[in-house]
Formats: sequence, C-alpha cells, structure tokens
Amino acid sequence: MAIQKLDTLGLKCPQPILKVAILVPQMNPGDILEVEADCESFPKDIKAWAEKTGKTLLFCNTSAEGKHTAQIQF
Amino acid sequence: MAKVAITVNGSEPSNVFPPFILGSSAIASGDEVIIFCCPGGAPAMVKGKIENMEVKGLPNLLELFEGVRSLGGKIYVCELALDAKDLKKEDFRDGIEIIGATTFINEIKDATITFSF
Repeated sequence: MAIQKLDTLGLKCPQPILKVAILVPQMNPGDILEVEADCESFPKDIKAWAEKTGKTLLFCNTSAEGKHTAQIQF
Repeated sequence: MAKVAITVNGSEPSNVFPPFILGSSAIASGDEVIIFCCPGGAPAMVKGKIENMEVKGLPNLLELFEGVRSLGGKIYVCELALDAKDLKKEDFRDGIEIIGATTFINEIKDATITFSF
C-alpha cells in the first residue's frame, strides 16, 4: 500500500478533481492518495467524487489558512 | 454513470469555458462526455485558440480540454462549420473529430444530461 501525494494548490475547480481522476489508473486497490488544494469547493467536490466513483474519502481537513488536505483510499 | 451531451454554439469564453468545466467534472467522475461544437463554436477549436483564452479567476482551459480528451471524452465539430466558417479539417486541434448532426444525434440518443452554451 502506497501513499501518493498530489499538490493542486492554486488550481481552480474542477482542475484538482480532474488531476485526481487522471491519477486513477496509476493507483492500486488499497493505495492512498493525499491531495492538497485551496479552491473553495474542494471539500464538497472530493466528497462527491469519492461517492460517485466508489472510492473511500478517509478525511478532508481544512487549515486555518484555508488549505484543504484530503486522503482518498482506492 | 451518466451520459452527458454538451453543445457549443459560440466562440467567446462565456460559450467555451462552461462546456469544458462541466465536461471535465463529469468525465473525472466517470461519466461519458460528448461535446459537439456547432458552427458558431467551431472557431474555438481551431489550433492555438484556447491557449489564448484566459479569464481572470477561471481554470486553465487547455488543461480542461486535455483532461476531457485524456479521460476518453469525445469532442466533435459539426461538418457544417467547414463551409460556414471557411475552415479546413487540418485547422482544428488534435483530438477533434468532424461529424454530421445525424451521427451526433444518434450517439446521444441515450444521454441523460444535456447542456447548450
């Protein structure tokens, strides 16, 4: 099980989700993708994406500065 | 998963950004996406056009276009655009297919989500 990191800071919706989707073929079952994002809609968007694609959103936290960090398990 | 059909009939950023924002969101979530540019939207698909289409606060259009393509989305230009806009097949960017309206209509007959811009 590997943890891969994806930095999408500064990118606007829907680019962070698009970058996550493009990484999907590289992920194996059980792998974790950690995504950093600062676009406003990211927490709701990543939750919706995980629900729709059947992935597990382990968490999505937001720092005081507005940076979101999410982990998705494949 | 849904099948999303989007028509584009203008070449201004207000016509071109929404199809690729919504289309890339849909295809990233596993939906099938078909974007069809009517003659009014066709000039935006000419090589070099979207690279120069930047709008404050909006995402990078080229990345959205490439994202739709790389995830298997279909991007069509209506064949009527060739004569209507004095364009040739080779004027369009890679990944664009020229088709007729009948083919498009047949392909989207089971689309569950449609947009027009």
